[in-house]
Amino acid sequence: MEAYLNRSIKEVIKEFPPVEKILDEYGIGCGPCAVGLCLLKDIVSIHNLPAEEEREMMGRIAQVIHPGQEIQIPRTERKAEAQPKELKYSPPMKKLVDEHVLIKKWLALIPEILPALNLESEEDRQLIRDGVDFIRSYADRFHHAKEEEILFKYFDEDLDMVKVMGEDHKTARNHVKAIVDAVERKDRETVAQHLTAYRELLSQHIKREDEIMLPWMDQHLSVSQVGEMFSKFLEVEERMDSYQKKYEDFISRLEREYRKKGVNHGSIQRLPGLQDG
Amino acid sequence: MAQFSGCPGSRMVDFREKSEPTKEEATGKIQSQLRQWPIQLHLISPTASYYQGADVLLTADCVGYALGGFHPDFLKGKSLAIACPKLDEGQDIYQEKIKSWIDDAKINTLTVLIMQVPCCMGLLNLAQQAAREAKRKVPIKYVVAGIQGEILKEEWA
Repeated sequence: MEAYLNRSIKEVIKEFPPVEKILDEYGIGCGPCAVGLCLLKDIVSIHNLPAEEEREMMGRIAQVIHPGQEIQIPRTERKAEAQPKELKYSPPMKKLVDEHVLIKKWLALIPEILPALNLESEEDRQLIRDGVDFIRSYADRFHHAKEEEILFKYFDEDLDMVKVMGEDHKTARNHVKAIVDAVERKDRETVAQHLTAYRELLSQHIKREDEIMLPWMDQHLSVSQVGEMFSKFLEVEERMDSYQKKYEDFISRLEREYRKKGVNHGSIQRLPGLQDG
Repeated sequence: MAQFSGCPGSRMVDFREKSEPTKEEATGKIQSQLRQWPIQLHLISPTASYYQGADVLLTADCVGYALGGFHPDFLKGKSLAIACPKLDEGQDIYQEKIKSWIDDAKINTLTVLIMQVPCCMGLLNLAQQAAREAKRKVPIKYVVAGIQGEILKEEWA
């Protein structure tokens, strides 16, 4: 069992497919991860399940790997006993989570925009260009830059979790590049395909960050590092002073327009952490 | 036994029987982590060199006696001030000093370490009020210690 704890989740699931379903039942949705480099033991540790649940889950995984055998299950290392699932972030992490809310509002608008999108119209082409500007300026230059240039620097760059998040950012940038190229060609199908893929990628990415990565990172940062990071975030915000207001206005305008068109905003509420309005 | 109805902060509790030596009991001389003087909030200057850009620990007077690991676990690496939100006078001066830590000394963080008794929340409220009035923003953490030295709560305000 020990050997499997030190193998990447992708390898473990490839060899023992039922493990994916077991992890999923305990809220560990690593199965569909495109990278899958994280070690099984790290995944179990990061999710910090209550001790009883972790024991039960590991017992089930052990039965898949070594059916019918009595297996000694090593306890994963953890910094603190799991607390009830109310997430409390440090102030800099809270800023990132709050920025995610605006990005999720944009993601929720994508399926409302796509059905009637007509790239023969200059107005719709401009809508996509504006959406791309939101992604590149707010989501990437403002928000992802805070993560990559500040937050991730406090952790080992070889940490699997950091690599996975960085890979997601790169994949997102590739989707955006494809959208930009396609919109000028008036290639509606490619725009729709990459916007949808971007939405799916970012929805999962933000969920993983909000629920797993940021709380885990919070546990491993010292008080002093939190203060330092908070100051660095403030510097970015001062440097890019107009961004927050400009892009909040952009998203509010789109939400108003699509409400006026009678679009059902159920999908906005379905994205975790979003309130209507 | 009649139920105690007075101030919870003054209620008598005797836990001598529970105070048996444990395996965590320190056996050697514990190094002090105090790196400044004075420490009482009325006596300190908020712009003293050891507060500049520092991680500051503002602690209720009783905490130092309740927490066995106060020096290594909380004081290490921080600059300190102590106060009692229940008994001290001139708390408007406290508020100004905390504000000055944030705006003038440009402290990095403020950790408020209080006891579980209700009156101790006054120290956190004082710090939060000062932070609201300050021009700069800093992360504030608060930690609540139980009267037998256990940590009951530790979170960012």
